[in-house]
Amino acid sequence: MQRRKFLSLTLGALALAVAPASVRAEDFRKLKPNVWTAHKMEDAIMAMYGTTTTIEEGVKLTAANVAFDSGTTATAANGGAIPVDFSTKIDAKTIAVFQDANPESAVCVYSVNKYSVNDYSIKIKMGNPGTVKVVVEGTDGKLYSATQKLNVAKGGCEG
Amino acid sequence: MSIRVKAKLKKGVVNVKAMAKHKMMTYNQAEKKTGNRDDANFITHITATCNGNVVYDMSTSQFLSKNPIVKFKFKGDEFKKGDKLEMTWVDRKGKTGKGKTKIK
Repeated sequence: MQRRKFLSLTLGALALAVAPASVRAEDFRKLKPNVWTAHKMEDAIMAMYGTTTTIEEGVKLTAANVAFDSGTTATAANGGAIPVDFSTKIDAKTIAVFQDANPESAVCVYSVNKYSVNDYSIKIKMGNPGTVKVVVEGTDGKLYSATQKLNVAKGGCEG
Repeated sequence: MSIRVKAKLKKGVVNVKAMAKHKMMTYNQAEKKTGNRDDANFITHITATCNGNVVYDMSTSQFLSKNPIVKFKFKGDEFKKGDKLEMTWVDRKGKTGKGKTKIK
């Protein structure tokens, strides 16, 4: 029994030690399943990074690609395909995108590699007006973020 | 081809634009359509490799748009025009889609 326990512990530790060094693709849906089922943005960020404290700087985020209304809110004509562009110069480990308009919060998680130039663009669906938040996990262990409020004229989840 | 890829090398950076062909059906849409939330199907992972090196790796949810378009960049120091860029997606039901291009 003891031997078995020892073996499983050692194997577990080995697996943990090997994982970060590997260059294999990281499937965050398997690694952190709770991120994808969380309904609230805070819960999803908590499930992903273990904290919700982020520094609001160093991340550039543009959503809907239109001029900002009153400085804070952008309007997306079609909620079915909202362009979301974001970039950062921070030395990042992972980048995650969340929103609070849909039933679940997580949109996508990138794992940054040595070739990455962290400048991305995606199209997302939003059923209601809400907030898009991009969280960047720096190699310094801190979280950086940017948020953008969005109005949606036509919901995107009705399909 | 289930994912269309374009890649261009410019000033040491490769700019990539890709469009995956996929319905990206959310749980709510599936419930409305078939009454079964489990019929939801969407891309869960997208990767890109250039000469066998992973240059893009992304776990995704149902909230990417239908036929999602993604753009990204990667450092071009080790790559040159004509190098092969391959992209693959996997969806919730385990189906994969592939596409490839040469860097222009």
